[in-house]
Order: sequence, then C-alpha cells, then structure tokens
Amino acid sequence: MKSTRILLLACLSLLLVVAGCSNTSGSKATESDSIEIKFLHKWPQPEFSPYFDEIVKEFEDQNPTIKVKMEAVADEPMKDKLRVIMGGGDVPDIAFSWSGEFARMFVRSGAALDLTKYLEEDPEWKDSFIQASLQPFESDGKNYGIPLRFNGKFFVYSKEVFDRYNLAEPTTWDEFLVVLETLKTGGEVPIMLGNASPWASIHYLTGLNQKIVEDEVLRKDYNPKSGEFTDSGYIKALEYLKELADNQYFNKNVNSSSHDMASQQFLVGTGAMMYFELEEFPMIEENIPGNWGFFKMPDIKEGKGNQNYITGAPDGFIVSSKTKHPEEAIKFLKFLTSKESAEKLSEQLGWPSPIIGATNKDTALEEVANGVETLKDAEGMAEWLDTDVHAKIADVYLSNIQLLLDGTKSPEEIMKEVQAVAKEVQSEAKS
Amino acid sequence: MKSFQNTKSALFYILPAFLLILTFVFIPIIFNLYYSFYSWSAFNMDGVFVGLKYYIKLFKDPVFYIALKNNSLFAIISILVQVGGGLVIAAVLEDKVIRRWQPVFRTIFFIPSVISIAVVGLLWQLLYNPDIGLINEALRALGQSELAHAWLGDSKTAIYAIVAMSQWQYTGYIVMLFLIAMHKVPGEFYEAATIDGANRIQTFFHITIPQIREMILVGSMITVIGAFKVFDEVYIMTFGGPGRSTEVLGTMLYRAAFRNDEMGYASAIATAIFLITLGLSLLQMRLAKSGKED
Repeated sequence: MKSTRILLLACLSLLLVVAGCSNTSGSKATESDSIEIKFLHKWPQPEFSPYFDEIVKEFEDQNPTIKVKMEAVADEPMKDKLRVIMGGGDVPDIAFSWSGEFARMFVRSGAALDLTKYLEEDPEWKDSFIQASLQPFESDGKNYGIPLRFNGKFFVYSKEVFDRYNLAEPTTWDEFLVVLETLKTGGEVPIMLGNASPWASIHYLTGLNQKIVEDEVLRKDYNPKSGEFTDSGYIKALEYLKELADNQYFNKNVNSSSHDMASQQFLVGTGAMMYFELEEFPMIEENIPGNWGFFKMPDIKEGKGNQNYITGAPDGFIVSSKTKHPEEAIKFLKFLTSKESAEKLSEQLGWPSPIIGATNKDTALEEVANGVETLKDAEGMAEWLDTDVHAKIADVYLSNIQLLLDGTKSPEEIMKEVQAVAKEVQSEAKS
Repeated sequence: MKSFQNTKSALFYILPAFLLILTFVFIPIIFNLYYSFYSWSAFNMDGVFVGLKYYIKLFKDPVFYIALKNNSLFAIISILVQVGGGLVIAAVLEDKVIRRWQPVFRTIFFIPSVISIAVVGLLWQLLYNPDIGLINEALRALGQSELAHAWLGDSKTAIYAIVAMSQWQYTGYIVMLFLIAMHKVPGEFYEAATIDGANRIQTFFHITIPQIREMILVGSMITVIGAFKVFDEVYIMTFGGPGRSTEVLGTMLYRAAFRNDEMGYASAIATAIFLITLGLSLLQMRLAKSGKED
C-alpha cells in the first residue's frame, strides 16, 4: 500500500516535469478568427518605441482581424540573436535586417521570403521608394527586404572652428589633408573618433575601400563565394586610415573612447569634425543649433572606385519564409512604409525615410532633408563593411582595425589575415 | 526507524531532482560533445560529420592560447586577491577590536557583488577613461601624470584592468563566506589559545585556517571555476579587444557561435572549457581531501 502511494507520487512528479517541458501550442487554436503576425524590430529605446506602438495600434484599428505582436531587441545584440531566432522554430513573420550581406545570409539559407512578386503587383508601392534604397536588399535580381530608414555617413564640422581658420568644405582628399593639418597646427583636435566599438573606424574604411578599389573587384571580393581580397587597393585603403592616425588627426586614445562619449565631447566643443550618421543629425542640431555643417567623404584622385558613391545603407525588414500569413505581413509593411507613416517617422524620430518626398523641410530638419537629397543624387551606396562582407571576414577586420590605429599591426599583416579567412569562407561557401 | 534503511523509497525521493539534473546538466553535456564532431549552424541543424576537425583547429588557433593565458591570469590573481586577501580581511573584521563595526564593513564590501554587471561595467569604463576617468585624474592630481594611461585601450594593460574590476566586485562575496565560517568556530578554541600565550597571527594560522578549511576550499573552487567561465566582464568592457588581447574562452565561444555561426567549433570550445574546469575541481578536491571530515 505504502509503496504504491510512493510510486504514484513519483509518477506525478514525473508528469509535472514532462508537462513543464511540452510546448503549449494547444491553447492558441481558440483565437482562430483573428490572425497574429509577429513583428521584431530593433528600437526598444523609450525615445523610439512609442512610434512603433502608435503605428501598430493604428494598423490594428484599421484591420481588426489582424493582431500584431511586437518585440524589440537592441542594435548590438540583434547581430547575434537574429541568426539564432531565424534558425529556430518560433520565427517572427517580419524581422528587422540590415541590407547587404547580413540580409543575403538569410536569403542563402532560405529563411527570407522573396518579395519581388508583391512589389511587382503594386507598382505604386514600389515606385514610392528611392530606388537606391531597394537595391541593397536585392540578391540575384530579386527583392528580399523593405527599407524603413535610409542612412548615410557624413563628416560633420563645427562652423565656428572652420570660420576661425577660414576653412571651406573639402571636396578632394588632398584638400581634406590640408584642412586637417591647418587645424592641427592651430592646436585643435581635427577629428573626434570613438573606436572602443570598432565599427566606428570600419565606417571610414567602408568609404575608403569603395573609393580606392575598382567597383567590379570590390563586388567580387565582397561575395563570399569569390572573395580573395588580393587587390593592392585594400592595403592602400588601410594606409589612408593609418595616415590619419599617424599624423595625430584623431583625438588621443581612440580605442578606449566610445562613439557616444566622443560625440558628447564633440558637441561640447572638443574637436573640429566628427564622422556622423544621418540619423544622428537631429541630436547634433539639438545640441549646437545652427553651428554645424556637413560634407561627404572627399574624393580620392588615385582611387579606381566610383567617387560619386556615398557610405551608408538602408535598414529595414525581411519577411520569414516560414510565415503562414505572407499577405498580412505585406499589408503591415505597406502600412509601415505608407507616406503618412513615413512622414510621421521623419517628424517624430527625425529619421531619414526612403519614401520619396517623406523627408522634406516640413517634416524633418533641413540638414536631414538635404542629406537625403545628397543620397538621392549619389550613383550608389557603399554599404557598411561590417555587414556587407561575410561575418567571419568582418570579424577579422573589426578586431584588427583597433590594432591598426594604435600602430601594433601593419596594413599588410591585416590583409594577409583577411585573405586567409576569405579563402576559408570561399571553400565553405562552395562545399 | 525502518524507513531510514529503506533505500527503495529513498530512491523515489531522489528521482525528481535526479531527473532535473539529468535533463538540464548531463544530457546537454553529452549532446554538446556529440555536436562538436559536426559542422552545423543555427540555420542548418543537421550538420556534416567532421570528426576531430574542430579540435585540431582549436589547438592551432592562436586566439585559444591568448584566451587560456587570460583565463589563467584571471584564476591566479583571483585566488591571491579574493581568497588570500579575502581571508585576511575576514580575519581582521572578526578581530575583537573591529568586530563592533563589522556589519558596516561587511555591507560595504558586499555591495559590489550584488550590483548588476552591466552597471559595474559602465562604472569602470568611466573610471578607466583616459581623459575624464577618475583613475587618471587622481594620478594627475598626485603629480604622477606619466602613469596616466589608456587602461582599456592598450592591449598590454586591458586584461589587468578587467581582472582588477572583477576583484573589486567579488572579494566582498568571498569575505562574506569566510565570515560565516569563522562565526562557527567555537570561541573556546581562541580562549584556550590565548591562555597558552598564542598571539593573533598564531591563532589565525593554527586555529582559524584549519577550522574553516572547507570554506577556503569552496571559496577557491568558486573563484577558479568562475575565472575559467568568465564572460560578461570581458563582453561588456572590451569584447575581446583591442584586437584579440582580452579574449577569454567564454568570449571566444560566443564569437564562434553567434558572430561567425560556427556552432560545431563553439561546441568544441565548450567541451574544452568543461574539461578544464572539471579537471581543476577534481584536483582541488583531491588536494584538500574534501568530504572526509575528521
């Protein structure tokens, strides 16, 4: 009698454990009349998330049968987590993604849905985008992503300091060097750089690689299947960056200062210039209203790449290939990129929108609108090096660029490592 | 009385805990070993069998040796400061003269270990900041400006800067463990020793240390295993940089798994970490002959 009771108890405890492990899919079936789509974005910060709350609420009011379940993961963890989430069982229907290689990784593994059909079906929607913003989400001529923001990188300078030394915005690299030298001799810190997270200097290299290396070679090398990185231009690009560091045109201790810290210092008056993203313009205007201007990375005469490119990329959303509700997901994306939503995006968050006409002088800061105009005129975009090449190659660049700036590694040594990893990546991509 | 000898029913009581440990500890360890022989990624769970390829790669990877060196540094310094230093601090706090103030000091020392690592990381990043950080400011104020340094930005000093932060955070925790053990030492022992003419240092070595031996073992095991599992400190402060100079096994694993999407390689690194910590704890248990209370 006693032992049966114990046995019963043991069985019960086992049952509890098993029940705890089973998944709870059974309970969801009851809400069959409304469809739920999962939406994952990367702006959990309190200054940004209300915009998304509002958009989702408006969308749900207009479409009572669709429920949007929203989640947010911050920028840096997104790079790691998204891969795991998309490979797992419970994938979001709509997920944030950077353009370029980051999105192509999902395309290659079959995790991203081909959106060409939906764009072709609705030409009005397709034509509402600035074309250069859709292109970085393409792979083999097909569209896989819908851009939300359009970002570019520009040198922002303090007008006060430039006036003091009678300096004009440089258009060529040689003029740029003259400006830097003048500022240095005058006792200023020419450029502020916070490179504790090395993407900050990778953004310099993004533009330098693009401007110095021939477009065709660059495209071939950035493709994991054919990347070799043997062109001498890559070494030269690193040398250009090293020159800036060696001549002490950057602030001291770049590797122990974060981008945020450096930009705070710039905004309180240390340094004459800093390399900023378009989305940071509203913050700059708030701190030093009227006292700043911007220019794109100067042209490099000896460079073989197209000089009329701008460093930057759109970021936006991909749709999971495993989604059960592609139509609803597209419907939500259309709502998110409608002109009203896009104008609201520019107005409330100050972000540059890829929707034609949405970022204008009424909705956004004049400088942001001008920045978007510059992007529209550019012949193409040099996408962020750390998301445009294969993750392993990006990793080698990222960890070595700090050592380039503090002088422990030479450009040749770094490129040798990059070449070795590129070879490894190539053999993996082929197998 | 009979129920004490009933091993069958005793087994039933162990069963739930055993099942939990089996599911959440032992099975994952075995799976991890199995996965380390396959090339697989987050997208592609059914991998290709590659045998020992990842272990060979691991032993050829220069970063592995940097990581081992950094983890060992972590372990050695932590033993010296947290266990050695912690023992001294605990003994001082237990001393008759200071005991009255013990709760105050205990709290002060213990507070760092309950602060979230994200906060501590940010705090120390600011302290170490070469331009506005308190440490360099203090050095300059003392006229030692040539000692001011980019602590986290220099490959040579970055790992020591992180280790130092870790000491600040966890020494108080170990001190607390020692204090608890010291409270349990019967007061008569000290009285007897004082009557026999032993001074404070003698009682420390001949009574306190032998009496709390078990706790010293536990403390050193916690610190050494912790030193080989360390991840968050490095992740927050430098993420392995500048270059790869502060890479530890934990960040190396993270990088392989979630940055480079080489899950098989990450599993191999995890196995290496497991073997190292298992070996060290077996060694320590053997050395201290734990469990055989005399």
